[in-house]
Amino acid sequence: MSGTAGAATPTGPAYVGLLALPVAGFGLLVWGLLHHSLPWALTLEWVPSLGLDAAFRVDGLAAQMLALITGIGALVFVYAHGYLDHEPRRDRLLAILALFMLAMVGAVSADSVILLFLFWELTSLTSFLLVGWNHADPHARAGARQALLITMAGGLALLGGLILLAQMAGTWTLSGIVAAAPGLRADPRLPAALALVMLGAFTKSAQFPFHFWLPNAMSAPTPVSAYLHSATMVKLGIYLLARLDPAFNDLPFWEFSLVGVGTLTAVWAAALALRERDLKRILARTTVSALGILVLLVGLPSPSAGLAVAAFMFAHALYKAPLFMVAGNIDHATGTRSIDHLMGLRQVMPWTAAVAILAGISMAGLPMSFGFIAKDVITSAKAEAELLALVSHATVLVNATVVAVAGVAAVRVFWGRPEFPRARVREVPWSMRLPPLLIALLALEFEFLPALADPLLLAAAQAISPGLDAGVLSASYRFDNTLTALEITLGLGLLLFLFWDRLHALGHRIHWLDRYGPAAAYEHALHGLARLAAAHTRLLQHGRLSGYLRGTLAALLALACVMLWLEAPPLAWPAPPPEQAVAWSVALVLIAAGAVAALTLRDRLALLMASGLVGYGSAVLFLFAGAPDLAFTQFAVETVLVVVAATALRHFRGEAPRLEEPRLANALFALLAGAGVFLLLLPLAALPPDTALSDWFAAHSLEAAHGRNVVNVIIVDFRGLDTLGEIAVVAASLLAALPLLAGLRNRNHAA
Amino acid sequence: MTPRSVLLDRIVPMLYWLLLAAAVWILLRGHNAPGGGFIAGLVAVAASAALAIVLGERVARARLPLAPLPLAASGVLLALVSGLPALFSGHPYLMHFWGAPLEVKLSTVMLFDLGVFLAVWGALAGFVLALLAAWEEAA
Amino acid sequence: MSLIVPLAIALCVAAGVYLTLSRDLFRMVLGLAVLGSGVNLLLFASGRLGPLAPPIMEAGADALAAGAANPLPQALVLTAIVIGFALLCFGLVLAARLANMARSEDADALRATEPPGGEGHKPAVLEP
Repeated sequence: MSGTAGAATPTGPAYVGLLALPVAGFGLLVWGLLHHSLPWALTLEWVPSLGLDAAFRVDGLAAQMLALITGIGALVFVYAHGYLDHEPRRDRLLAILALFMLAMVGAVSADSVILLFLFWELTSLTSFLLVGWNHADPHARAGARQALLITMAGGLALLGGLILLAQMAGTWTLSGIVAAAPGLRADPRLPAALALVMLGAFTKSAQFPFHFWLPNAMSAPTPVSAYLHSATMVKLGIYLLARLDPAFNDLPFWEFSLVGVGTLTAVWAAALALRERDLKRILARTTVSALGILVLLVGLPSPSAGLAVAAFMFAHALYKAPLFMVAGNIDHATGTRSIDHLMGLRQVMPWTAAVAILAGISMAGLPMSFGFIAKDVITSAKAEAELLALVSHATVLVNATVVAVAGVAAVRVFWGRPEFPRARVREVPWSMRLPPLLIALLALEFEFLPALADPLLLAAAQAISPGLDAGVLSASYRFDNTLTALEITLGLGLLLFLFWDRLHALGHRIHWLDRYGPAAAYEHALHGLARLAAAHTRLLQHGRLSGYLRGTLAALLALACVMLWLEAPPLAWPAPPPEQAVAWSVALVLIAAGAVAALTLRDRLALLMASGLVGYGSAVLFLFAGAPDLAFTQFAVETVLVVVAATALRHFRGEAPRLEEPRLANALFALLAGAGVFLLLLPLAALPPDTALSDWFAAHSLEAAHGRNVVNVIIVDFRGLDTLGEIAVVAASLLAALPLLAGLRNRNHAA
Repeated sequence: MTPRSVLLDRIVPMLYWLLLAAAVWILLRGHNAPGGGFIAGLVAVAASAALAIVLGERVARARLPLAPLPLAASGVLLALVSGLPALFSGHPYLMHFWGAPLEVKLSTVMLFDLGVFLAVWGALAGFVLALLAAWEEAA
Repeated sequence: MSLIVPLAIALCVAAGVYLTLSRDLFRMVLGLAVLGSGVNLLLFASGRLGPLAPPIMEAGADALAAGAANPLPQALVLTAIVIGFALLCFGLVLAARLANMARSEDADALRATEPPGGEGHKPAVLEP
C-alpha cells in the first residue's frame, strides 16, 4: 500500500461531506450527554400487527460505544485521507466506512432485537466489502469471504437465539427481555436460546474457535483495520453479551461458557501472536486476546466486573487504534510490515515513534497510563470473583504476551540500527500523524484527568452491573496486589520480548497447528462443500436423457408407493357390459400385442406399426366405451402418424443401432411404472366421481349453446378459450418445426 | 421416381375431394353429432397426405387453400375473431351468438369450429408435406 | 369386476416407458407416442366408465339420456390427442434433425449443450 506512484487523489466535496458525518455524530453525542440524562429512548411504530416496533434505546453502555464509533470514526476518516492519498477510489471506501458507521450506530442504539439483527448483519456486509477492498489480491478475497461466512453464519444463529428469547419473554425489545429474564429461568428453551446468542457474539468478536477470521481480515486497508477490527465492530459481540449479562449472569451455564471461552481465546491468541512476523497480524492476534479477556470479564459475576469491561473496552480502543495506525504509517512509508525488516525507524519517523511509545505504554499497562487503570480495575474485579487459579494464571501469561507485543510495536521497530536508507523513507503526512497522536494523548489525559472519562465509564458500567455504586476510577490506586501482579507481568513480558525471535522459531516449527487448527477445519469444510456440490452435480446433471427420465420416474414411483402405503385401495372396476366385453377384450389384445411387439422388435418400420397397434387398440376402446368422437380422432391420428413417422424415418437408419443399454434395468423400470399405474388405478373406480361440471355442461348444452353433442359444445363453446390456446399450440408447433424441416431439406441438397 | 399406377392417378384426386367434402360434413354436423373441427381437420390432413403420396408433395401443396403456415395462422385468427362480437356487445369474450337469417342456423360458434379445422389442417398438413418434400428430394 | 381397462393402461405405460428409456432417438420418440396413448386412456378412465352411451342428445330430446357417458373427460382427451400428435410430429422432426447434425442416433451422444469435459468433468472449485 505504499502509494508513491501517480498523482495524489484530489480532495473533493464528497470527502468533506463524508467526514462531516462522524464529526457531526460525535458533536451530537457530546451535546446530548451534556444536556439530557441517560437513557434516551425512541419508539416508532413499525409492524403493529406483529407487535413489532422500531425501538431505540441508548444507555451508558451504548453511549460509550457511540463515543468510540463516532469519535474514533472521525479520526479514522482523517487518517484515511492521508493513507489513501493515491487511491482513486478513496471516496468510495469512505462511503462504505460511513455506511458501516451508521450500521454500528444503529446496532448499539437498537432496542428492538430485529433491528439489532439487521444492523448487525449490515456491519458484517460492509466489513466484507472493506476487507476485500484490494480485490485483485487473492488473500484479500479469501479473507473477506472467510469473515463474511463466519460472521454471517453466526448472525443466523443470533437471529434464532434472539427470536427464541423474544418469544419466551413476549417482547421484541432487548430491555424487555432483560426485564423479563427472572421469569425465564425455568423455560427449557433458555439454554438453546442463550447458546445461539453466544454463537453469534463469539463469531462476531472472534472468539475461539472462530478467532482465525480476524487476522485474515488484516488484508483490509489499515484505516479499516483500526476502525472495524480493533475499535468497534469486533466489540459488538461483547456489547451484546454485556447487554444481556445483568439478566443471566447468575446462571452457571452463562458464567462458565463466557469465562471458559474467553480464557481459552485469550491464551490461544496470545500464543499464536508469537508465530507471526507481520506487524498488523501480531496486533490482530492481541486484539483477539483482548476480546477474550473482555468476554471473560463479562462472564465474571462480581459487580466491579462491569466497570472492568467498560474501562478495558475503552482503554483497548484508545491504544489499539493508534497502534494499528502506527503499523499503517510504517507500511505506508517503507512498503513492508514484516518486523524482520523494520529497525531504527525512530530516526526517520519521530512522530510515529512517539505515538507508538505512548500507545505502547498504555497497552503494556505501565503506571501513568490509562491502560494501567484498566488493568488495575481488571485485577480487582478478578480478585473479587472466586476465580479458578488456572484462569488467573492464564491471564497473567496473556498480559505478559501483551507487554511483549507492546515492546515489539513500540520499541523493536523504532530502535536499533536503521535498515532503510534515510533518503528513501520519509515521515508520513500530518493527516496520518495527528489522528493516532490525538487518540494516544487522549488516553494519557484520562490518566491525569479521569474526571473527564469517569461519568461515561460509570454509566456504562452501571448498565452492565446495575448494583455498582461508586466505581470511580481515580480512587482505585491500590498498590498492594496490583503492583505485585504488574511486576510479574512486566517481568515475564520482558523475557518474552527479549526471546521473541527464538520463541517465534520454536512456534513456527509446530506444524500440526496449521494442519489441525480451526482455520484448517474451516478450509476443509469449504473444500468439502465444493466437492459435495461437484459430486452432486455429476450425479444428477450428467447430461444423459435416459438417466434424467429414470430419476424422474423413480421419484414418481416412490411417491406412488407412499400413497398406496398410506391408503389401501378398495377394488371396484366395473365389468364391461356383456355386449361390449368382446370389443373391450379385442382392444386389450391389440394394445398387448403392440406393447409386446414394441419391446422385442428392432426394425424401425415394424416398431412404428407396433405403436400404431397400441393406438388403434385404444381407439377401439374409446369407440365401445361411449366416446365415438375420441375414437374417430384417435383413428385419424394413428393413420397420419404412420405417414409422418415413415417419412421422418428416412432421416434415420432403417434398423436401430446396437447400443449398449441396461435392458434388464429398463425393463424393470417399465414394469414398475406399469405396475405402479395399475395399482394407483385400482382404487379409482371406487371413489365417487365429481360430476358437478359435467352435469352442468350437459344441462346447459342445448339450451345455452344449441348443441346436442356435449363434447363438441364443451370444446368450442364452454371451454372455447382453452381450445383457442390449444390450436395456437398446434400452429406454433409447425412454426417451431419449420427451421428444423428446412435444415433437413438443406441437408438433402448438400448430400 | 417410380412409375405410378394410372388408376391411382385418377382415383386419388377424386378421393381427395371426397375426403374434403366428408371433412366439411363432419365439421358442420359436429355440434349435434360425433364430429367437429378437430376430427374434420385430421380427415383433411389425411386427404392431403394421400394426395401428396400419390401425386407428389407439390400437387398437394397447390391444392391447399393457402400455404400450410398461413392456413394454420388464419385458423387461429378466425377462432380469435369469432369471439369479438361478444366482447363488443358487452358479453364475456368467446360467448357465441346464434341467428337464422336464411332459414339456416348460423352462428359465431361455427366460425370458431371452422378456425379449429383450418388450424389443425394447416399445421399438421405442414408437417406431412414438408417431410414428404424432404423424402422426395432424396429419392 | 373387470381389469381390462387398468390393464390396458398399465401396458401402454410400461411399453411407453421402456421405449423412452432407450438410448435410440427414434424409439424414444415413439415411446412418447405410446406413453401418450396410455395417459389419454387414463384421463378418459378418470371420468369413470359406467354408462356407455355417447354423450349426445337424441333428436327431439332436450337432455342427455340417463346412460350417457361423462362428456368432460372426453372433451379434454380429444384436444389432448390432437395436441399430443402435433408435439409428436415436432419431436420426430427434432429427433431427425438432431440425428442428422450429431451424425448419431444415440441420445447419449447429444452433448452439445453439456459443459465441456465429459462425464468426468469437475466443476470449478472455489479458490482456496
